Amino acid sequence: MPVATLLIIATLLPLVSFLILVFLGRRMGSPLAGIVGTFFIAGSFVCSLAAMIVWLSMDTASGTAPGAGGQPYIRLMDWLPVGKWFSNNGFLQIGVHVDSLTIVMFSMVTLVSTLVYVFSLGYMSEDKRFPRFFTYLSLFCFSMLGLVIGGTILQLFIFWELVGLCSYLLIGFWYEKKSASNAAIKAFVVNRVGDLGFLIGLGILFFNLGNVSLMDVYRYLGNAGSVEKGQIIVLPADGTPAALAGTIQPAIAEAGKPDASKYNHMTVGLLTIMGIGLFFGAVGKSAQFPLHVWLPDAMEGPTPVSALIHAATMVAAGVYLVGRIFPILTPDAKLFIAIIGCITLTMAALIAMAQTDIKKVLAYSTLSQLGYMMLAMGIGSWVGALFHLITHAFFKALLFLGSGSVIHAAHHEQELGQYGGLWRKIPYTALTFGIAVLAIAGTPLMSGYYSKHLIVGNAASFSWLAAKVGKGWGYWLLFWVPTIIAYVTAFYMTRCWMLTFAGKPRNKHLYDHAHDTPILYIPLIALAVLSIIAGYEWFGVPSFLRSTQKETRNYFERTRAVAGSETPAPPLMARFTGFDTSWQPASAYEHETEPANGAAESSPHAARPEPEAHAARTELAAGHAPKPEGALPEIKEEDPARIAAFHNGEKLVHWSGYAFIIGIGLGVLVYWNGFAVANAMLKIAPIRWINIWLYRKMYFDELYGVIFVGVTLAISKLASAIDTYVIDVAVNLSAKLVKRGSDLAGAHDTYIVDGAVNGAASLAQSLGVAVRAPQTGRIRAYVLALMVVVAVGLAAAIVVVLSVVG
Amino acid sequence: MFVGIIDNPIGLNHFLVLGALMFACGLLSMMVKRNAIGILMGVELVLNAANVNLVAFNRYLWAGDRAGGKPLMDGQVFAIFVIVLAAAEAAVALAIFLNYYNNFSSIDVERGQTLKG
Repeated sequence: MPVATLLIIATLLPLVSFLILVFLGRRMGSPLAGIVGTFFIAGSFVCSLAAMIVWLSMDTASGTAPGAGGQPYIRLMDWLPVGKWFSNNGFLQIGVHVDSLTIVMFSMVTLVSTLVYVFSLGYMSEDKRFPRFFTYLSLFCFSMLGLVIGGTILQLFIFWELVGLCSYLLIGFWYEKKSASNAAIKAFVVNRVGDLGFLIGLGILFFNLGNVSLMDVYRYLGNAGSVEKGQIIVLPADGTPAALAGTIQPAIAEAGKPDASKYNHMTVGLLTIMGIGLFFGAVGKSAQFPLHVWLPDAMEGPTPVSALIHAATMVAAGVYLVGRIFPILTPDAKLFIAIIGCITLTMAALIAMAQTDIKKVLAYSTLSQLGYMMLAMGIGSWVGALFHLITHAFFKALLFLGSGSVIHAAHHEQELGQYGGLWRKIPYTALTFGIAVLAIAGTPLMSGYYSKHLIVGNAASFSWLAAKVGKGWGYWLLFWVPTIIAYVTAFYMTRCWMLTFAGKPRNKHLYDHAHDTPILYIPLIALAVLSIIAGYEWFGVPSFLRSTQKETRNYFERTRAVAGSETPAPPLMARFTGFDTSWQPASAYEHETEPANGAAESSPHAARPEPEAHAARTELAAGHAPKPEGALPEIKEEDPARIAAFHNGEKLVHWSGYAFIIGIGLGVLVYWNGFAVANAMLKIAPIRWINIWLYRKMYFDELYGVIFVGVTLAISKLASAIDTYVIDVAVNLSAKLVKRGSDLAGAHDTYIVDGAVNGAASLAQSLGVAVRAPQTGRIRAYVLALMVVVAVGLAAAIVVVLSVVG
Repeated sequence: MFVGIIDNPIGLNHFLVLGALMFACGLLSMMVKRNAIGILMGVELVLNAANVNLVAFNRYLWAGDRAGGKPLMDGQVFAIFVIVLAAAEAAVALAIFLNYYNNFSSIDVERGQTLKG
């Protein structure tokens, strides 16, 4: 079966499971609903694994190294007609984009999810909303897989929002707890802030490019990594020469050359804003510095959810997004990302040292590790960031599930102060948790060592390069800060382990009742194995990631080669420097990420045969088509500055290599007997103050409470005052006026109109009464009246006649 | 005044007095009678009092007057008309009384004070 089909099936299986559980979940009840959900996600994992095997065998068939000869599988289809004004072909597109990164992410997400499902079967078994939990989990996995397979940034955004929704549902799963529902709302709102940035970036991209499929974005903006101040990137449009599209041009035309700025283009400033905007989405999802406040609160959710959010889905989404948009980030945007990452990793590691809730410690360690990943993205270590994402997913899932096992054993007590000595009671958990601690501390032979050292080494190279081109000493911070924090990481993770498992029991009752549960520690063991082996070269994560970059380049070269022969010429392919460190002055390199773990390839020359083989493959793929005019600029594989930077990075990276010894050693020393030493140290005033400051999470919540909540409340109070004293008064005044006016009109109605009508009626009535009185119906009375009248008349006549005659 | 009537031979004045008496009797009969027939009789008396006057005036004031060789008979003709009218009136009145009687089982006019049925 084709890879894409398998992956689409893998994506849809959790959706099917979601639909089944939505309609039938309650009827299935516990534990059947959970088993069904687990079955589907396991199926999804099997599909992902099959896809990986097919993917590898495809590459084997083409006679090349894993992934290197292949190219991404891309299928897009028109989805919503939106008109030509908005989109280049009149449609919003959706589709799939499958490359090695997709495969790796799929395998990681489905594997971790499966283990979390299994763990949840045990952990959630007594919850009364057990089926609903698995319903949400399924939707969560579907969203994440949809995000990973998405072929356009728009699609990424859609699933991005779905992931956000699911995190809201799951963090607030125990919504009876006020703190849980508050945390869910906080997570949702803080993520909206980041999503606004995403939307702005997406809007800029869509407005300028008219198409946000990943490949088109790479094709036309793939050069963004080497754009300098005063330059523009020409975009395809009607009337733009095809040869110019996607190329870097000076913003102001040089003498004797055509003016590129008259065509549709993006300036470097706009590109930077777009990149930072998109990154802000990742800041929200991956909980980076200004928007990190939601992640520790998200601990209110059930522990398996924390594991899923922190390892496989939510926070991974942010790093994955930055990985996907990496080629279109300008150097300035990357620097911004690196600084944010650096701030986050420092802040979070410091706070983690003082936390006493086991899950809070882990939450801040996640923040710190995400900071490492973002830093890696910022300094251009694309492989390092995603490598760390994968290894971190395994050991962080292990840590969270381990903490879940501890919490389960301890009857939902999360305070480190209540633990102690638990290793005797829950040995499997203690052992696996310990492996995860070693991994995150960067102990050699553990996965965390390789990924973290790749990042720190690349940071060293980056700083060295920056210093070499005279960028100032500040850039060295981007190396030294993560190096020092590596020590802190080892320390606080050791502290967490020591306080939980070592020493004397601090809560006798809790200690006596603690016990291991098989369904809980089976996933732990699997994850522990993965936490060890995920970093090795033979396990294939780094090589898979590296081949992503080659695949993308192959894609462009082949498209171009084919286009040169018969088909109408497509726009000139931008030289795809994509997933590289693109720090000036050198525009392209391969080596910083190649020797992933020092030992594997000690010399950059080992990679030398690559370009020739590369070119040959390209020729082969193109059917020996002659290279079209304006061939791709050859990538300088042996840029001396790059090689020097790499070597210097190698020289410096050992500084973080001692972290695990010193950090773990210190941790063991300080916490060998519970809080005794720590409490003694806290007697010293400055340490106590710092501890309180860190324990209170550097007062970020209070700060945001004052700045955002306070200001919002103040504004709403002001608005309310305006409402009460201005608008209400005006409204009431006008109401009174209207009432007066209507009173007047009412009186007019009552006394004049009605008076006239009633008056006429009563006049007629009284006239009728008056006239009726003589109509007695008595004939004799009539006759009498007649006679009287006649008599009177006669008498009058006589008087008149007499007076006249007389 | 009465002396003049008694003393003088029969003349116009006697007839006028007779007419006036008849008229008075008729009027009185109409005023005091509750019986519908009595009222009708009163009406006949009034009409005939007028007839007496008409004929008397014609006899005494226009006696012997000629118009184109023929005696003037206007008073008599009027009287004939009145008699015819009285007959027609009596017929209508009696028909009404018959209906009246059907409705009220009586011809007492005091009972017919309402317009309904």
